[in-house]
This record gives sequence, C-alpha cells and structure tokens, in this order.
Amino acid sequence: MNMGLGDRRTVPLPVLMVILLAVLVVSMAVSVGVGATSVPLDHVADIVWQHLGWGPLNSAATAAEERIVWHIRLPRTILAVVVGAGLALVGAALQAVTRNPLADPYLFGVSSGAAFGAVAVIVHVGAVLGAATLPLAAFAGAMVAMLLVVGVAGRQARVTSERLILSGVAVSFLFFAATNFLIFWGDQRAAHSVVFWSLGGLGGARWERIGIPIAVVAAGWAAMQVTARHLNALAAGDETAVGLGVSVDRMRLAIFMLAALVTGVLVAVSGAIGFVGLMIPHVARMAVGGDYRRVLPLSALIGAVFLVSVDVASRVLLAPQELPVGMLTAAIGGGFFIWLIRRAKP
Amino acid sequence: MARGTVIVGRRLLTILVFAIVATGPARAEPVTVENCGRSVTFERPPERAVSQDMNISEIMFALDLRSRMVGVTGITGWYKMTSAFRQAMGSLPELASKNPSVETLVAAGADFYFAGWYYGMQPGGAVTPESLATFGIATYVLSESCAHVGENAPTATMDLLYDDVLNIGRIFGRADRAAALVRSYRTRVDRVRDIIAGNRPPRVFVLDSGEEKPFTAGRAAMPTAIIAAAGGHNVLGDVAMSWGRIGWEAVIARDPEVVIIVGYQDDSWRDRWEFFRNHPALSGITAARRNRFVVLGYTELTPGPNNIPAIEKLARALHPERFP
Repeated sequence: MNMGLGDRRTVPLPVLMVILLAVLVVSMAVSVGVGATSVPLDHVADIVWQHLGWGPLNSAATAAEERIVWHIRLPRTILAVVVGAGLALVGAALQAVTRNPLADPYLFGVSSGAAFGAVAVIVHVGAVLGAATLPLAAFAGAMVAMLLVVGVAGRQARVTSERLILSGVAVSFLFFAATNFLIFWGDQRAAHSVVFWSLGGLGGARWERIGIPIAVVAAGWAAMQVTARHLNALAAGDETAVGLGVSVDRMRLAIFMLAALVTGVLVAVSGAIGFVGLMIPHVARMAVGGDYRRVLPLSALIGAVFLVSVDVASRVLLAPQELPVGMLTAAIGGGFFIWLIRRAKP
Repeated sequence: MARGTVIVGRRLLTILVFAIVATGPARAEPVTVENCGRSVTFERPPERAVSQDMNISEIMFALDLRSRMVGVTGITGWYKMTSAFRQAMGSLPELASKNPSVETLVAAGADFYFAGWYYGMQPGGAVTPESLATFGIATYVLSESCAHVGENAPTATMDLLYDDVLNIGRIFGRADRAAALVRSYRTRVDRVRDIIAGNRPPRVFVLDSGEEKPFTAGRAAMPTAIIAAAGGHNVLGDVAMSWGRIGWEAVIARDPEVVIIVGYQDDSWRDRWEFFRNHPALSGITAARRNRFVVLGYTELTPGPNNIPAIEKLARALHPERFP
C-alpha cells in the first residue's frame, strides 16, 4: 500500500512537524497578504493585529482593505487549512482501512451526493431554510449517498474493502446521472452552481461558517489518532488485525462513517475538492513510513499547506477571475500520480 | 500592388452591394456580410428562418421578419418566456425548448439559423455554422457571442447590436427598415447621453448569480456597453472576458455604487440582493449601504432591442436628479 516505498523513515517526525508548521504559517501569511487587489503588507498586518486587539488604532488601512483582509482573506485561509487537513486525514484513514492506495474521501459518493442535494434544492425547492439551505442540502445528500454505499456493501455479514469501494463507485455514478439530469432539466443557475459542487472553491468562507468545520475536523482527527494502532493493524491485513484482537468489520464501518461525516461537512462549505485526500497520504507515507500514528498528523499538516498554497494560485493566476480550486488540485494530483507510477520500480 | 487591388475591389463590391440593397426592396442579389470573422454570402433572402433565445428572436421581430420564420428555439426550457414575447411569437412554434439538435432544424426545413456561441451553439458541439452548412442551413452568429471563441475579448459597444440589426436587415432584404430602426436606437441613446452629459459616471457592478464566486459581465459582455451608454462605468469592464467568475475581493476593492441584478422570471433577485447586503464583507460596499440596485431582465442585458429601454431605465437609476 506504500507503492513499494517500504517502512523507512528519513527525517525524525518532530523535526518535520516543526518545519511544516513554519511553512504553514508562512503560506497562511502569503494567503492573507496577496489576492486580486494589492493591499500594502503593513496595512494587512495592522488590520490583523487590530482585530486581535494588539494593534494600532490609527492605522492607514482603508475600510475596504479591512473588509478584504478580515472578512474575505482570513476566513478563507483558515477554511483552506481546515479543508486541506480534513481531506488528507480522511484519505489517510480510508487508505488504511481499505488497504487501497486509491481510496479517497469522495470514494463513497459523498461528493456526488452533495452535488445532487445542492442542485435539487436550487432547481426544485428553493432556499426554504434561508442561507443554510444549500450547505444543509449538500450535507444531507452526502449522508444519503454514504448510507446507500454502506447499505449496498453491508448486505452480507462481511464488509470487505472491495465491496465498499465498488458500491462507492456505483452509487457515485447513480448520483452523477441524477445530478446531470437535474442540470439538463433546470436553468442556467443549476448549471453554474454545479461547477462549484464538482470542482470546489473556498470563496464562500465566512467567520460564522467555519466554526463547525473546525470542530468536526478536530474531533475527527482526535478519534483517528486515538485509534491509530487499529488503523495500523487493519492496514497490515484483516488476518493480522483479527490476530491483534481488532474487530475488523466494526472498525472499518466506524472509520467509514467518521470519514463520511467529516467529508460531508467539508463538502457543504467548500464543494468537492479532489485529489487532496488521495495524494497527501502518499506524500506523508513517503516521509515517515506506514505507521499511522505518524502519518495522520503529517498528512494533516501537508494537506493544510497544500490547499492554502493552491487556493492562493487559484486567486492570483487569472486575477480578478477565480479558478475553481479543484481544477488545480486535480492537475497537480494527476501529475503527481504520473510521477509516482514512473518512479515505482517494477 | 495586387493586395491593394483586392482591397479596392472588395471595397467596391461592398459599396456596390450596399448600393443595390439600399436602393430597393427585397431582391435576389447575393448579399455578403462579415460575421464573427467570417464572410457569409446569401444568394437570396432566407424564407424559413429559426432564431434561438428571446433576445435574438426579438431582433427578428423588430425587423418584422416573423413571416419569414418557421420557429424559435431555446426559450421555455430556460424559464424565460414572458407574455409580451408570447404575443410577439404569435402562431410561431417553439421547435425546441432548449438548444435544438441538427435534426430539429433540418426537420423544420430551416434555411437560416440566427444564434450565438452559448446561445444555442457550443464550440465543438453538434450544432455549429459548419455542421448546419452541410444541410443547406446558413447561420448568423450573434456578434457579442463571438468573444467566446475569439482570441481576444474586445470591449463591448452598442455597435454590437447595431451591426447585427443592420446585417440581418441586409440578409433579409430589409436594409432600409434596419437602418431606420438603428437610427431610432441611436436617437434614443443620444438623448440619454445629452441628459446625463457632464455627470460623473457611477461605478456599477453586474450580479448574475453565485455566492462563492459571483458570475458577472466583463468587458466583452453587452452590459459593459449598456452601462457606458447609460452614463455608468462597469467596475469589471477592464477584465478581458465576456461573462465569467471573479472573486468578491475585486468587487470590494472597486466599491460599486449601484448593482445591476440580472432578473429572471421569478423573484430570485430578492435573495441575491439580501445575500449581497448581509454578507459581512460586502455590506460595506457603497451600493449595499445605500441600498442602490436595479433589476434588469435577461433580454435587457443580452444583445437585442430591449437594450435601448434598458439604457433609459438604467440612466434614470444612475442619474435620478437628471430625470425629474
């Protein structure tokens, strides 16, 4: 499952973590400092310090700059950290329990379910629950898709990873077909919005909307970290896990539900940003080997750095136009896998 | 030398064609028009035309060409029908509620299709000027939509509308009527310009849809021309695109004073305006603080006869003190 990379460690984990934390802080600073409009860096610093209660009160920053930095860029940067970390964690956990290096948070139809929920609301229901309608519909769609996957896979006593993956693919196709039908049936607003649900974007970030994702990702991380030994056992094989006293089916199902919950929350706020959960765990395992006690925190940090950086690119490359962030992550992820395939020894 | 001769020859031809068309009613002499970078020659005026979408069909109706048409396409499928349009359609059928297939147009016996890129035709799609030509169906492409397939995105002007009206007039042997129509458009637009002369152009933002990244009009899209004619300034009129997505940050930095909301046949504009006014980062924008917005309909903002009343309506909203 490490694509022949073995269980070797090259750099001690604490050193890696410190370096990555520093990189994360720098990339977050860049993300808050640059954008479609140029805000002088001293103004950016003034605005942030001021809001944190440490800063000068007579800053030269304008009101527009203040809104851009504090209400647009900062919540967006934090959301990028949370989504990047969350997707990478979920990807790592799923790759462990399915023993499939291509397992991904979107494997079990969560993204297609979320897109279906959102588009159905746009086309047929309308914002019956106010501003929260779309995220709620997306979350509900993701959960329905996940339950379907588990339902299909769990018809027999044993829930094998192959069955989970296959039913995930099948349910995804069904939801994509249904979503495409709604788009065909609906108006241009549905067609526009599906770009967001299928390619993702962090532009919807607002202070009041990032609390739940932060809490869910943090709790999910904690749960995974606590069960990291069991993840290791499952990654080693069902027989090994049983031998070590791990209840394989229950563990796999629990991780599956947890992954779906975290992914559903993330999809509801950022759309489906692909390849982060697929690619980042590979990078983490290259650095620290296959022990999930190390892979999990490292994946979270690398995922955060990665998504913050890609989001900056999506805002700056064609400014003031914005690229869907999932387009860039897919391009980078595809390139990464080609590199991985070519360097793997036969 | 040779090249000069060709140019002179082409000019002469153009003048000749123009002279022929301008002197009389419908004739069977070939007409050549420049359209989307192509020269298209019409041996005789079309008799069985089809037009896509409301704004394009309204150009046909404004030139009184309903009797030369066999149908319209792409209206009810997008929830765009209005009672005024249905009246203008009369007994004309809607052949396809969204984009027609080649088969639909061939089955209707069409000899002419007036549409545009992303107005019934997609680059690389089944229905294109080339694919229709093999079935003897000539195509005229809405000039504003050419920016979607061209190398650059030229700044939209009202000439996009005027040229299409004049070209369609020539193709159908109604050049006089088209010229008179464009003259009346110019008169109305000039009147607006005179009324607002000397006023500072307010900053205007076009909000179609999208909460994450708004969908708006760049420099090559018709609203840029309409806003300019109404004495305003599209804050994203420098962005080299037709319609497209931009980040909210750019909108905040350019601080629009008035927002144009694209209205569909429902009251969804209310939700979009509420979102805009209540978004923590957008609520400080001048337009949001002063609650200044104008709802303009789809056909008012896409190239067509409704652009002219839209300019008058928008000018009133932008310069209320000049319209007592």
